[in-house]
Amino acid sequence: TANMDISSDEADDWFMESLHIYRDLHVFQLEHPTKVIEWTGEKSICVADYSSARNEILELLLPLKLYAGGNKGLCPERDFKLQHGGFCDEPVECLRHIFGKRCVVTSGQYSSKLQVWDIGEGDSDIIKRTGVINPKCPSDKGRKIASGVTDGASVLHGSRINDVQQTELVSGRVLYAVGTDSLDAVSGLQFVNSSTFVVCANNGTLYVGDTRDPRMKHYVLHGSMSGSHWVFALRKDQPHSDPAACTVARLSSFGQVLVSDLRNLCSPVRQAQLNLQQNMATCDFLNVTWAPVLDSCLAVSGFDGKVHIFDTTSWSTVSQTPQPVFVHRGHDLSHEAKTDGTLLVVTTHVWHPWRPRTLLSAASDGSIHVWDWVDKNFEHF
Amino acid sequence: MPDIKVTPLGAGQDVGRSCILVSIGGKNIMLDCGMHMGYNDDRRFPDFSYITQNGRLTDYLDCVIISHFHLDHCGALPYMSEMVGYDGPIYMTHPTKAICPILLEDFRKITVDKKGETNFFTSQMIKDCMKKVVPLNLHQTVQVRADKRSFLNLCYLKYKTAAWIDKCRPDILITESTYATTIRDSKRCRERDFLKKVHESIERGGKVLIPVFALGRAQELCILLETFWERMNLKAPIYFSTGLTEKANHYYKLFITWTNQKIRKTFVQRNMFEFKHIKAFDRSYADNPGPMVVFATPGMLHAGQSLQIFKKWAGNEKNMVIMPGYCVQGTVGHKILNGQKKLEMEGRATLEVKLQVEYMSFSAHADAKGIMQLIRMAEPHNILLVHGEAKKMAFLKDKIEQEFNISCYMPANGETTTVTTNPSVPVDISLNLLKREMALGGPLPDPKRPRTMHGTLIMKDNSLRLVSPEQALKELGLSEHQLRFTCRVHLQDPHSDTDTLSRIYSHLKSVLKGYAVQHLPDSTVMVESIVLKVSSSAEEPDLKVVLLSWCFQDEELGSFLSTLLKKGLPSAL
Repeated sequence: TANMDISSDEADDWFMESLHIYRDLHVFQLEHPTKVIEWTGEKSICVADYSSARNEILELLLPLKLYAGGNKGLCPERDFKLQHGGFCDEPVECLRHIFGKRCVVTSGQYSSKLQVWDIGEGDSDIIKRTGVINPKCPSDKGRKIASGVTDGASVLHGSRINDVQQTELVSGRVLYAVGTDSLDAVSGLQFVNSSTFVVCANNGTLYVGDTRDPRMKHYVLHGSMSGSHWVFALRKDQPHSDPAACTVARLSSFGQVLVSDLRNLCSPVRQAQLNLQQNMATCDFLNVTWAPVLDSCLAVSGFDGKVHIFDTTSWSTVSQTPQPVFVHRGHDLSHEAKTDGTLLVVTTHVWHPWRPRTLLSAASDGSIHVWDWVDKNFEHF
Repeated sequence: MPDIKVTPLGAGQDVGRSCILVSIGGKNIMLDCGMHMGYNDDRRFPDFSYITQNGRLTDYLDCVIISHFHLDHCGALPYMSEMVGYDGPIYMTHPTKAICPILLEDFRKITVDKKGETNFFTSQMIKDCMKKVVPLNLHQTVQVRADKRSFLNLCYLKYKTAAWIDKCRPDILITESTYATTIRDSKRCRERDFLKKVHESIERGGKVLIPVFALGRAQELCILLETFWERMNLKAPIYFSTGLTEKANHYYKLFITWTNQKIRKTFVQRNMFEFKHIKAFDRSYADNPGPMVVFATPGMLHAGQSLQIFKKWAGNEKNMVIMPGYCVQGTVGHKILNGQKKLEMEGRATLEVKLQVEYMSFSAHADAKGIMQLIRMAEPHNILLVHGEAKKMAFLKDKIEQEFNISCYMPANGETTTVTTNPSVPVDISLNLLKREMALGGPLPDPKRPRTMHGTLIMKDNSLRLVSPEQALKELGLSEHQLRFTCRVHLQDPHSDTDTLSRIYSHLKSVLKGYAVQHLPDSTVMVESIVLKVSSSAEEPDLKVVLLSWCFQDEELGSFLSTLLKKGLPSAL
């Protein structure tokens, strides 16, 4: 509670500082925490429950004030609007929007199945399940998913390298399956273009495949690399990219980051040892993303209650410990932050597709923030 | 008739003109009487023809309850009570009663003076309407029309932020759904935006005008600015117009129990005008050079001081006006919020609007989480959603039904929802009666089966008591009358009177197992309280007359015995 005296309260300090370090800042509280934020449209995202009995999937419209442009002052709309909602029978592990469609695919923590959902148009506000995909082989729970990038709606999914497959949504037909017997657990996967894709294993090994060929190339990490768990991010400029224009970043649970050219995954072009300690027992929330607009910027979260942004331009092949260009501490320090003693962790974050410095982040207390940070080194409009 | 019928007359699946008719326990209650701010014709009023096609509503309504002073909930009240006609009680809380007439008068002035409407309620009508208002306190219970038992439990929901409500377990909870599909940005972020905007203006030497209505937000924003000024060591003056301060002080004394902790604490700790950086405004200050912040009334820039200041400052792009809420059509506030850059003033003068216009909505409503919390706390048996579009409420309906396992209804305007209730009527039972009923013989009672008991129900004032008939008679000062029935049964029996009686005794004893049958030395047989005697005449000694006598309570058994004996005695005895 604010009082009339100057307060040394950390939250008040951050609040005051926020006037200068953010252009925009919105702090929301969902009923239940989400570990997924997925863009489903230019102004809408999907989030999903992973902890309650009902496991709601919600499509939210972002505050219209963010899109008001020159008329921003005249738009008072600061709130998320719930557009569509549905119920899932299990906590949602992974949620992906299907390219070009009003449809999402989820995987859950209790089974290996994927569920296909129709987000629904103007008619009703219900998100309806329209199908189930059962992998045609033994599989772990909580499969990882990536959307196909062609007109025919499809997903690439897997729990271990040897069960990675591509399924056509409408027919359920398996369009492609990898031809390897590697049992490495999948930590993430993504299409580079309509046929080329990248898979990252938990141990940091990268696989590059082509849906026209079951064989994949793989790139194991150098023995000196440690860390139990690795995640990756692919930077590409369009849905269909030339591998020559793509960069891969890998992040480990020990805070190492490797940046590599997709054409040459053996030797990283940049690397760093981030000064981040993981205070969580789980690597579940580890997340690294490339900024879609800013050059060479990446964001890291999952270690604690903060989101850390780094500019990799100055990094070299020799690992150093860089300082972040920005740290979002809102989940730890906003007045609404829950302080019930349990460790708060940022569960996921995403960049806005075209606003250069806008991100959305969610945390384990159900908070979800939308923030546009100020880069002290640059002037802006 | 334990049904409750709910019919929205406005705000069924509609946003605006809240007006809900509830029929409960034989009474008709109107909840809210709002105006739809988007229409200029009759569509802005609720459809009262549902209640009666012509004439006054007094005979059809037992009372009207107004939830709060926003125009979409009370804007049509003077029209309803004075132009359509209603003379019964109108219930609302004290703050609502204080603010309603002011808002209604402002609204009337704007509609008639600025927009030139003719068929609208007058100032006198507003006054006459308010005379019918009966103000209530939190949790006050009112008995409406004492000839029948009906209770209105008015819980004023702290509509603004976290609603706080007893676990009152209503049969129906009626709630607006509009905000159930909103996830609200935190209050702190709104405040942050406000401070940022004010600061940016002040930094570039601009003046900031904040038009306010007298209460609530103005004080909170002052406290916010004062803290900020102190923290940032700012020197620009902040002014609060005096008309505002007098009114505000007055209202604050009224509302102190209704406001949040922060305001209450500050108000109690210090007179709010002991701010370090905030001073009383004088209209000459508006021409002073340099940056400043001014809070002035009225809130929609439609007249008075705030409009005067606005006219002076509008031409400079360094200045800023922050509109803290919705503005009614026809006001300057409404026009500039719609982006109008040129305004027509009195005498055909045009005003160029070059200053920055910021619309910051500080009005706080419940959101998705808030509504679920409200339902969780109140534990209603049924929910009725109003104020939303049906298609956009399907998910909320599902969610409520799944989480709370109760029915969720969404009637359209004019559509009636009937909810069957199972009201429990609490009755006090006297200890004596309870003990007596429990002591009755017979088999052990089955806990699953209801047990019939006899007693007298006394309904006095607001209590219901179940007592023994004797006690009731005593309390009422009445003497008990005993009713005894006698009947004669003729039997052909060659035995002596005494023997016949013995035979009757044996017969009854074998038939009426479980009953107390006694053969008494005074030549009577008694079954419970029923007395049997046998006599005969000297002329016809074989024609026995069995006299049965029983009291009213044993009517059933008595009838049974007489029927039994009419069949004659079995020869085997």
